[in-house]
Amino acid sequence: MTAPLTARIAEEFRAAASRLPAGVVPPQRREELLAVLTREGLPTSRDENWKYANLRALERMRFAPVAPRTEPSLLAADLPAPIQGYARYTFVDGVFAPALSCPLESSSGVTLSVASRSREASERLAAASALPAPADARFAALNEAFALDVARIRARTGAQCPACMELLFVSTGDAESGAAYPRLELDVEPDARLGLIERHVSLGAESSFSAPAVDIVLGRNAAVDHYRVQEMGPKALWIDTLTAGIAHGAAYRLYMVSLGAASARSTIQVRLTGELAEVGLHAVCVADRHQVHDTFALVEHAAPRAKTEQTFRGIAGGRARAAFNGKVIVREGAHGTDSRQSLRGLLAGPEAEIDVRPQLEIYTDDVRCSHGATAGKLDDDMLFYLLSRGLERDTAQRLLKWAFLEDVVAKIAVPELRRQIERSLAGQMNETTALKELL
Amino acid sequence: MLIIEDLHVTVGGKKILNGLTLEVRAGEVHAIMGPNGSGKSTLVHVLAGRPGYEVTRGRVTFDGRDLLALAPEERAREGVFLGFQYPVEIPGVNNVYLLKAAVNAARKHRGLPEVDAFEFLDLVRSKMKLMQMDESFLSRGVNEGFSGGEKKRNEILQMLVLEPRLALLDETDSGLDIDALKIVANGVNSLRSPERAFVLVTHYQRLLDYVVPDRVHVLVRGRIARSGDRTLALELEKRGYEWVAGEAA
Repeated sequence: MTAPLTARIAEEFRAAASRLPAGVVPPQRREELLAVLTREGLPTSRDENWKYANLRALERMRFAPVAPRTEPSLLAADLPAPIQGYARYTFVDGVFAPALSCPLESSSGVTLSVASRSREASERLAAASALPAPADARFAALNEAFALDVARIRARTGAQCPACMELLFVSTGDAESGAAYPRLELDVEPDARLGLIERHVSLGAESSFSAPAVDIVLGRNAAVDHYRVQEMGPKALWIDTLTAGIAHGAAYRLYMVSLGAASARSTIQVRLTGELAEVGLHAVCVADRHQVHDTFALVEHAAPRAKTEQTFRGIAGGRARAAFNGKVIVREGAHGTDSRQSLRGLLAGPEAEIDVRPQLEIYTDDVRCSHGATAGKLDDDMLFYLLSRGLERDTAQRLLKWAFLEDVVAKIAVPELRRQIERSLAGQMNETTALKELL
Repeated sequence: MLIIEDLHVTVGGKKILNGLTLEVRAGEVHAIMGPNGSGKSTLVHVLAGRPGYEVTRGRVTFDGRDLLALAPEERAREGVFLGFQYPVEIPGVNNVYLLKAAVNAARKHRGLPEVDAFEFLDLVRSKMKLMQMDESFLSRGVNEGFSGGEKKRNEILQMLVLEPRLALLDETDSGLDIDALKIVANGVNSLRSPERAFVLVTHYQRLLDYVVPDRVHVLVRGRIARSGDRTLALELEKRGYEWVAGEAA
């Protein structure tokens, strides 16, 4: 099944090669990636870690990138409201749109460049991006082979930008005009601190294919708060790869909200390379109708006394499926590892499906690893309690769903963003108002 | 106000209530006592509409309406309140939100507009003072991390804010130290009025020292074996339930 697919990818690559910018990814590198893809093929549902994603939809998709529009027809008003205090960089179908962006002040110590990369930064990224094993970078390779543009962010040593920038990736294309490859490379130098919002939205409801790739390197004692929101259109296929390497004493906190798309898959791979490095992965998803939301999160502890905290809260209604596979590998020598996983799914429809799976592989002594995973329906006792206070059944159920998501949503420390997310969650749960707004 | 006639209830196929008959008039306080497993909690849960209880015979009317035909939330809005013995913790649902949602549900039912946010907070604060509860309770999750005593006080707080016409309190006194018991009793007494009735389920007569009942009923094997005034509770305390159970057998 993948053979014809990779053949088609190669064919589309040849046809598009002349319009793939060398400044974004050098042609030789693109060729190499294509060779890797041809050799390894794309994943299929037979792969252990790809059981839940809807990969068959790929057969209907084009891989060559959408041709950039000559005249931007989008207006700022078409986009989600900006978050105050955050600079905005908008990419339309993977291509930077300066007219829809509002750049960062130069004094922040953080720079964002589109497409050009300093040799120094390249070397740092290359040196640090040793992937966790067994990493899966096939869709990241697809992204890099076809990328039309890239957002390269560099936070210089000691830069403090806790409310920094928002990257907005807008998909306007449909499956027939081609794919979108949003691409983000984040290089955070030692002691720098950065707050980043990354949003993926669709304008229009046509079927589309996006394969975003995010590459993150955190230097010694750096700290990043990364908020990611996926609100693609109802027919979108969204297959995402995020890779991060975390150095000594650095802290990477990722908050993911997955709401949209027909089928969304995130492959998150984090490697804790330095002692006392920390990662927090907090994900929430609400899937309804026939949606599939699948996340595979792999954390590799490659250094002593590093810390992982993983929280997943997923609600599946209708005939939707929400899956979260959280794997933690503790390498030999990574003593003092502290890893906690709390994965919970809530079934909100008779034909919905939840798959939560914590996995631990430990190759050293002296570690503290805990995990909890539950999948179930709303708690009858809680529901009766609320009903006995006179709340409508529907209100009571919605309230309990909010409460279920609260463990993650409450962690979103940007109030304006949290309000927007709560409103989106409300929409996804077929509510007219966000219950939280009534408080 | 509340008329229960020949009520038979099974739970999971097991008979719990066997022909219970009871009338509670407005303004009255009734205490239901009895040994473990006699059906006290079942009675109040059936009245509140908890799922899993099957009424096989009998009827219950509340102000002339068939109470058993109403959904639990409708009963609440009609003014029936259940104070739980073991209130459930609901992390993520804020206490003050629940209170407000409950008050507004009742107001909507009566055709009234939503409560004014500031007036509401003033009301809640004054009731919290009466219950000697710290204001930080408001922003916490419902019963989340509360001690047993705090949960009971929170139940009474909800009752005070909702002002039900019929309050069913299921062993609200259990697990309380004497100070907390007095606070809870104070709360109950502050709400006593000619339009309102209370059914107190309790094991011990201790609560009845502070909330003086009009009638005391002893439940044995799912029916009322004996009724009397408050002296019955005192006598029970002296002679134990076996005295009534022996008579009933």
